[in-house]
Amino acid sequence: MFDAIVVGSGMSGGISAKELCERGLKVLVIERGRKLVHGESYTDMVQPWDEPNAGMVPEEDLARHYMIQKNSFISGTTKQYWVKDDENPYSYPEGKPFYWIRGYHLGGRSIMWGRQSYRLSPQDFEANAKDGHGSDWPIRYDDLAPWYSHVEKFIGVSGSQEGLPQLPDGEFLPPFGLNDAELQFKAAVEKAFPGRKVIPGRTANLSKAQPHHEELGRSSCQARSFCDRGCTYGAYHSSLSSSLPAADRTGNLTIVTDAIVHSLVHDPKSGRVTGVRVIDANTKAGKTYEAKVVFLNASTIGTAQILLNSKSDAMPRGLANSSDMVGRNLMDHLFALSVAGFMPNAPKDSYYHGRRPNGIYIPRFRNVTEPGDFLRGYGYQGGLTRLGWRTAALTSPGIGAELKERTHKLGPWLSFVSGFGEMLPNPENRVTLSKTKVDKWGIPLVEVNCSHGPNELKMAKQIIEDGKAMIQAAGGFVVNAATEPGVPGLGIHEMGTACMGKDPKNSVLNKYNKAHDVPNLFITDGAAMASSGCQNPSLTYMALSARAAHHATEFLKAGVI
Amino acid sequence: MTDFMPLDRRSMLERALLLVGASAAASVSPAAFAKAAGSKPTLAPAAFTLLSAVADTIVPRTHTPGAIDARVPAKLDALLVTWASPEHRVSITGALTAIDEMARSNGGKGFAALTPEQRKELLVAHDIAALKAVPRKEALTGIEALMGKAAVADPGYAKLKELIVILYYYSQEALTTELNYEHSPGGWTPSIKVTPETRADGGLSAF
Ligand SMILES: Cc1cc2nc3c(=O)[nH]c(=O)nc-3n(C[C@H](O)[C@H](O)[C@H](O)COP(=O)(O)OP(=O)(O)OC[C@H]3O[C@@H](n4cnc5c(N)ncnc54)[C@H](O)[C@@H]3O)c2cc1C
Ligand code: SF4
Repeated sequence: MFDAIVVGSGMSGGISAKELCERGLKVLVIERGRKLVHGESYTDMVQPWDEPNAGMVPEEDLARHYMIQKNSFISGTTKQYWVKDDENPYSYPEGKPFYWIRGYHLGGRSIMWGRQSYRLSPQDFEANAKDGHGSDWPIRYDDLAPWYSHVEKFIGVSGSQEGLPQLPDGEFLPPFGLNDAELQFKAAVEKAFPGRKVIPGRTANLSKAQPHHEELGRSSCQARSFCDRGCTYGAYHSSLSSSLPAADRTGNLTIVTDAIVHSLVHDPKSGRVTGVRVIDANTKAGKTYEAKVVFLNASTIGTAQILLNSKSDAMPRGLANSSDMVGRNLMDHLFALSVAGFMPNAPKDSYYHGRRPNGIYIPRFRNVTEPGDFLRGYGYQGGLTRLGWRTAALTSPGIGAELKERTHKLGPWLSFVSGFGEMLPNPENRVTLSKTKVDKWGIPLVEVNCSHGPNELKMAKQIIEDGKAMIQAAGGFVVNAATEPGVPGLGIHEMGTACMGKDPKNSVLNKYNKAHDVPNLFITDGAAMASSGCQNPSLTYMALSARAAHHATEFLKAGVI
Repeated sequence: MTDFMPLDRRSMLERALLLVGASAAASVSPAAFAKAAGSKPTLAPAAFTLLSAVADTIVPRTHTPGAIDARVPAKLDALLVTWASPEHRVSITGALTAIDEMARSNGGKGFAALTPEQRKELLVAHDIAALKAVPRKEALTGIEALMGKAAVADPGYAKLKELIVILYYYSQEALTTELNYEHSPGGWTPSIKVTPETRADGGLSAF
C-alpha cells in the first residue's frame, strides 16, 4: 500500500510525484511507456553527419507507424519519443480530424516539449464567469500565483519582467536576449501599435543554472537547440532531468514502467478509490496497486479514457462523472496560423551566435488593449532569423560553385509570427470510448469529436491580419502565410476533459483539483483546465499539480480524505 | 563545455582541407566516381557512376571539398534503401536516368562521360527547367502552407537535388569548411558584428 499513486510520469505527473515525495508520502508513479534514462537515452550528442538518414524518418515508417504524429515535429533523431499510431489507435469521425500527438515513455511529453512557459492572468481565470462559456474557475489568479512562483523557481524559466496584466511576470532567470533585428521589430511594432509588446519568449531553459539546479545535476544551456532530443546537460526542464530526480532523492519514490493503467478501483461503500488496475504492456498480465490517494496525470485524453473506463454500478457513466462533464470541453489552441516576411531594413551587418532555444513572444492584445469581434484572444510566438543554408541552396535554381558561394553567405533577415488562439470550452467537443473496439490490451479505444467553432474561425482571420500588419509596420514584406488553423490537436495543448468548477453539476473537480464525486482522487494534468487562455499551458498544469499535492497532503494529515 | 576546440575559422578550414586531401583543383574524374561508393552500392555500377557525376556537378570540389569528397553518392545510394518510399526511389532514379538520356540525345555520350564543363552546361539548363514553379494540384493546409516547398515541373529532380545538397551540407567536410558549425555553441550571444569571414551556420535550420 502506497500513500499516493501518480498515474503518468510526464510534465504534470513529474511535479505531482516530486511534491508528494517531498512532503513525506510514499509515492508510486505508474507509467505506461518504457523506461528512459536521463542522458543515456538521448540523441543530443549525435553530430549532423552521423544522423541516420540525414535526420529524416524513413518514409515507409511515417506511412505505417506515424500517420498522425508525422503531422507534428517528429524527426529522425527524435522518432523514438513519438507514439506509433498503428500500435495505439484512436478514432475521429470522417472529415472531422483531431490529431492526438503523444509520447509514451518515462517523462512523457516533457522530453519533447517546446518549453514555452507562461502564466495565465487574472483575466483568464475570470473569462468563463464573464462570458458564460465553460464552468467558472473555482480559483482565481491569486490562488495559483505562489504556486507558479514555486514551480518557476524549481524548473528554471528564463524571461523578462514586463509588468503586463495579461501576462503576469514570474521568478525568472535572465532572458535569452533579442537579436538586433528583433529589437528593431520590437521598437517598430510597439510604436505603431501602442499596447502591443514584443518580448523575449519565456522558456524553461536554464539561461543561468542556479545552485538548486546544479544540485540535481543540471547545468546552464549551451544554445544548441537539440532540446527535443533530450538534453544531457539537463538544461531544460523535463521529468527525467528535473522533477523525477528531485522526487527520487527523497527516498520516497517508486516507479513502474510498461504498466498501462486500465481503470481505477472504486469502493462504493466508502466512495473512495482504493487502487489502480494495471496491465503489463509486454506480458498483458493484470495487477492492482493500492494507495490512499490517487493523482491522475495521464494527460488530458489519457486521463479521460481512464475515468470513462472506470465505470461501475455506482458510477455507470464513468468515475467522477456525475456531471457528465468527463471527456467534454476538449480544447486545444488555434495553431499553425503564421505569417512570414522579409525584412529588408533589418541590420545587414549584424548576426548572432548560438542556436537560441527560444524566440520572441507577443502577448495577447485583443480584448485587452484593443477590441476584437470575437471572445478571448491570442498571443504570438515567433522570431527574426537570417535565412539559412537550406533556403539559399534550394529555393532557386543554380548548381556548382555558384550554389556553394551563395549558400555560405549569410541570408537576408526573415520574420515569422505564429498565433496561438484561445478555443472556447464547448461540451460538444469531447472524448468518448468506443463501445465496440478495444486496443491490444483490451482497453476501449478513444474516440475524439472536436472542431473549431465560429468564434475560433473569426479569431483565426484576425490572427493573420494582425500578424501581417505587424511585419509590415516593421518595414517587412509578407512572403507567405498559413491562413487555415491546423487540425485541432496539432497545438498539442489539448485540455479540459475533467474541468475544475464551483458547481458539481457542471464540473468534475473542485478548487483543490479533487474530484467532486471522489474524495481521494486528484486530477492535475490538462484535463483540469476550465478554460485554455492562449498561453502555452504546461506551467499551469505544473502549478496546479504542486498546489494540489500540498492540499492532498494536508487533507491526508488531517484525516479528512 | 564545448565539443570543439576553439579554432579560428581559417585554421579549421585548413585542417579540413588537409583531412580530405583537397587541392584547389576543379573536378573529379569519372573513374574516381566508382570508388566513391566505399562499400557496395545498391545502384548498378553505371547508375552509381551517373549519380556520382550528377552529385559532383551540383556540388563540385572548389577550394573546399565537394559532394564526392563528402561521399554523397554512397550516402544517397543508402538513402534509396533505408529512407525512400518506393515512389521516391522510382522518381529519384528516374530523374537520374532522364539526365543521362538528355546527355545521350545531345551528343551520344552518357552524362558521366562528358567533360565537367559539358556536364555543367547541360545540368544548369536542366536545373532551371526542372525547378520551374507550376500550379499546385492540391492546396497546402496548416503549417505546410507556410513551410511547404513550391510545386515544380520535375519533382523527382527536385528531390534528387535536395538530397544531394542536404547530404553534402550535413557532412563533416562541408560543416568544417563551407559553413560554420558548432555542435555546442556554449551559449547565446544575441548580437555579433558581421565580418567578411562570417559564414552561414550549418546544421539545424528551419528555413
Ligand atoms: C513538440 C511539442 C511541443 C510542445 N511545446 C510546448 C510548449 O512550448 N509549452 C507548453 O506549455 N507545452 C508544450 N507542449 C505540450 C506539453 O508537452 C504538454 O502540455 C505536457 O507534456 C502535458 O503534460 P501531462 O502531464 O498532461 O502529459 P504528458 O507529458 O503527455 O504525460 C502523460 C504521461 O502519462 C502516460 N500515460 C498515459 N496514459 C496512461 C495510462 N493509461 N497508464 C499509465 N500511464 C499513462 C504517458 O505515457 C505519459 O508519459 C508541447 C508538446 C509537444 C509534443
Ligand atoms: S539548447 Fe540548451 S537545453 Fe536545449 S539541448 Fe541545448 S543545452 Fe540543452
